[in-house]
Amino acid sequence: MVEKTIYISQSQRKPIKILKWKIREGQTVPVGHVLLLYDFVDAKTAEQRKLKSTHAGTVHKIIAKQGETINTGRTLLQLEACSHPTVMNDMCAECGADLRKEETSPTTAFVPMVHAIPNLKVSEELAQKIGKADNERLLSDKKLVLLVDLDQTLIHTTNDNIPPNIKDVYHFQLYGPNSPWYHTRLRPGTHRFLNNIQTNYELHICTFGARNYAHMIAAFLDPEQKIFNNRILSRDECFDPTSKKANLQALFPCGDNMVCIIDDREDVWSHASNLIHVRPYHFFQHTGDINAPPGLDKHEHDAEGGPMGVDLLAGVEANKSVAEQAVSDELEAGEVEQAEFEKAEIEAKDAERDKKKAESETKNAELDPEMAEAESVKAEQEEHQQVKISESNTSEKQHEKKSAKNGEDSNNSEIDKVVEKHEIKSETDKINGSSDIKIKNEAVGAEEKLENKHSEPVGVCEEEKNNEKMETDTDVKTKGPTCNGDSTVVVDREPHHIGNANGKFSEVEDTQQMNSGKTNVNNSHQKNNSCINSKLASDVKEATDSQCKDSTKSNQDINSENLIEIDDPDDYLLYLEDILKRIHGAFYEEYDKMEAGEIPDLKVVIPKVRGQVLKGCRLVFSGLVPNRMKLEDSKVYQVATSLGAEVTQDITDKTTHLVAVRPGTIKVNAGRRQRNVKIVTPDWLWCCAERWDHVDERIFPLNSRGSRNRHPPPHCSSPEHRKYPTHDKPTARKRTPSGRFMDTINPLMSFSSADIADMDKEVEDILVNESGSSSSEEENEAVPPEVQEALSEDKPTVIAEILNSSSSNEDDELGGTEDDLAMEYPRGFKRKRSCGLRKDLDEDDDDEENPYNPSPNSSDDETPSERFKRGEMDVDNDVDMEPEDTQDSDSLTPPDPEELDDKEWNRMGAELEREFLSE
Amino acid sequence: MFYHISLEHEILLHPQYFGPQLLEKVKTKLYTEVEGTCTGKYGFVIAVTTIDSIGAGLILPGQGFVVYPVKYKAIVFRPFKGEVLDAVVRQVNKVGMFAEIGPLSCFISHHSIPAEMEFCPNVNPQCYKTKDEDVVIRAEGEIRLKIVGTRVDATGILFLFLF
Repeated sequence: MVEKTIYISQSQRKPIKILKWKIREGQTVPVGHVLLLYDFVDAKTAEQRKLKSTHAGTVHKIIAKQGETINTGRTLLQLEACSHPTVMNDMCAECGADLRKEETSPTTAFVPMVHAIPNLKVSEELAQKIGKADNERLLSDKKLVLLVDLDQTLIHTTNDNIPPNIKDVYHFQLYGPNSPWYHTRLRPGTHRFLNNIQTNYELHICTFGARNYAHMIAAFLDPEQKIFNNRILSRDECFDPTSKKANLQALFPCGDNMVCIIDDREDVWSHASNLIHVRPYHFFQHTGDINAPPGLDKHEHDAEGGPMGVDLLAGVEANKSVAEQAVSDELEAGEVEQAEFEKAEIEAKDAERDKKKAESETKNAELDPEMAEAESVKAEQEEHQQVKISESNTSEKQHEKKSAKNGEDSNNSEIDKVVEKHEIKSETDKINGSSDIKIKNEAVGAEEKLENKHSEPVGVCEEEKNNEKMETDTDVKTKGPTCNGDSTVVVDREPHHIGNANGKFSEVEDTQQMNSGKTNVNNSHQKNNSCINSKLASDVKEATDSQCKDSTKSNQDINSENLIEIDDPDDYLLYLEDILKRIHGAFYEEYDKMEAGEIPDLKVVIPKVRGQVLKGCRLVFSGLVPNRMKLEDSKVYQVATSLGAEVTQDITDKTTHLVAVRPGTIKVNAGRRQRNVKIVTPDWLWCCAERWDHVDERIFPLNSRGSRNRHPPPHCSSPEHRKYPTHDKPTARKRTPSGRFMDTINPLMSFSSADIADMDKEVEDILVNESGSSSSEEENEAVPPEVQEALSEDKPTVIAEILNSSSSNEDDELGGTEDDLAMEYPRGFKRKRSCGLRKDLDEDDDDEENPYNPSPNSSDDETPSERFKRGEMDVDNDVDMEPEDTQDSDSLTPPDPEELDDKEWNRMGAELEREFLSE
Repeated sequence: MFYHISLEHEILLHPQYFGPQLLEKVKTKLYTEVEGTCTGKYGFVIAVTTIDSIGAGLILPGQGFVVYPVKYKAIVFRPFKGEVLDAVVRQVNKVGMFAEIGPLSCFISHHSIPAEMEFCPNVNPQCYKTKDEDVVIRAEGEIRLKIVGTRVDATGILFLFLF
């Protein structure tokens, strides 16, 4: 804090007598505050006059004493000017000075420390102080900081039209009554996750959603504001529209050593190593991340890896009350079921078409029996498919199918339908029984139950519920199907994953999966997790009412009884909680070992924890890495090594795992001969990477069909970034050459006007050069090299060339050609080329000064900007040292603009724009 | 400070409202347009008390809109530097606290909070309190503050000292 000392002196023409000081030392006085009461010495009538402060600041020393007579010009007191360490809306929060007025002293406050209030800024010094206090508090509480992303990490939001009565879906509008509706589904177990994790972590929201969106979601997640406590950073506060990383330094001025991040996108954190890349949560079909950063894809994950996603649109069209949910598992559906599934889909589409037709007629209020019938058929069809998956008796399936078909055809006569329904029910009851028997016979240890309920006559077939379930947990309570016409049927089930709450990998589940060898492993896993759970209470009395009345009633009646409960198979938060707890444990274990004052860095701890996962495993890949690719370059290698496994090219005695895509390869055959080699599909590796845990290999045996998941799912390939050691670097805060904190936030802030003028000139020069780029090489050479150097935007090269030309003239020609290159190629390309060219030149005339002399171990295809980021190049310092450099000395040299790639340019541009706009 | 003052406002009326209820419409429009607004000069217009006169409407050429100059009296709330007011705390954080005085939102920097009050981030809700816990300032608590500066934008914002 640079504090200016102000002396306030007696400025009256006549001597005055101080009657009373109205201030004391150490007090803060704003402008206009009464300092003292005085009177003129020669005044005829006694009168108290007030002397008001002309400056704001803290009283440092009162020099004149009370009762003293002060002559004109004598100093009265010493004031330390306010350095405006806290600024709100360009107004100093301490002295009240308006910083938009020019005469006030400039503020040093540039750090927006409070998440949701970007207008409130504090000085670096204060930020450091607060940040330090924060860190100490966290350490004493044994907590860490966790930045939580919202969209697709904890929640999934859609703008699509969805039924209003799905359980655990929140509906809200953000911008008044006519704005679009948002529907937000919390990831299963979110509340429990947050409550459990908050004992170990201080939670912050860090999202690209708009501010009111973020706060709205926070209110759902944390109604009492206990968890997040206004620590919400939204798009409105983000410095950079495509990256969240820039804000970290402002929020954590003492470094992000203790910051852990969970997010479904790595790019927005520039692949930071303290990020845990979570599996994106995807609930609503047809919707990606509605708050994806601009320019980055918002693609749907329906077609690729997104395992779950519920198509709710169909339900909407059926007047929003049909308890039919199609689990979208196009992907998981193995080849065996493919045909069936397609059939089901076709029928579903038909049903949808019917529904649309009907909707146009009935306008959103009534329910057409036909539609409902179609729905039920669809549901049955799907169920039927599930039956097949669970390897039920085929004959029963045929029965059911038949009955479903019958049901479809029988919408003419109600009586018919009632009969059909009962038929179906009896069929399904049979299925239950038989599958139970089968399970007993097989002694699998897990139970597969499939249930189907049609508990009401056709009149209320709109309310018909299909309870489909494949449960592996035996502790699930199921009330048997009831046919009683008057009774309410309630199906009470525990969601599958809650049953598994503590056991991460329920052995039961595992074995069960092992045994369902017929289906693709991944597939069966998903399927087993997915239980469609619907709660229903259908009053059969309503059957006697008219259909119309009935349907309208049920439409309006969105009470708990009518809630559609969709169980979704996502149980990732359980694993995430475990991962976070492990990280927390590892951090504080390390902290306890360290000496006082030292703090371990999560950016080191987190990769270390990840590296423990497959420690001791020696993997061999078969069919995963293309022949022409080096093993070390492949993604799968990086995934495996980041998990701590060792990877060898060929099977050795020590090999523990063989990861193979398909059977029959040489390696697989060799592996089968070795007793202790476990042969698994790549899914095993992806699963390990996703859960950060050594998953039981038996879940992922290599079977005759092999695996199609040759490439890691996007959220598992996080170790990609480990190539660039930059991000792994610990250290608290990187300082810019000036050492000023503000520069680390935004280098533009610290550009002096001379710098900006320089930059303008550069841009102009580029334009000039570009327009003249068609000119021949000779022409360029005709220009004196110094002029060209001045024109060139390529600063570091320029410096080198100046040196060259001063030492020997023979470089002039080369300089000319290089400048020519510099003008002819786009930026990145040119730089690489000039780099290569330089290298060639260096072989000729050992130019030691050349900052681009590539170090022998750095590869050619590495761009200078990458190396710059890593700090290998000290170009800037070189530039600074140059005597020729006439740049403004009191401002730092900004990082050479040429070193920043285009993205950074864009970012800086955006920031500049924002700065201008904010003024 | 509250004042009861005479103010003027121009109401722009769409031709669709022309008819027997025209003046009624002008009045209701005045209420909706004026109450709750904030100007640098007069502060917040809290409530319109009387409408003194509605001048002759002037039809805008080429548009059909009519402009009525309206004179009215209203209660306004104008905060001044140095004024002492009571406020309700809305949010407490490590940099300071936010409070509201009716429509006015205020920020009180940590610096301006008496030094003996410490920020306690661990208790829920976060608060400032003295060592002996005699005085605790937390969200929803009431404080008395002195305004040290004001800035008028969409909402007036002030800074203040405690007590």
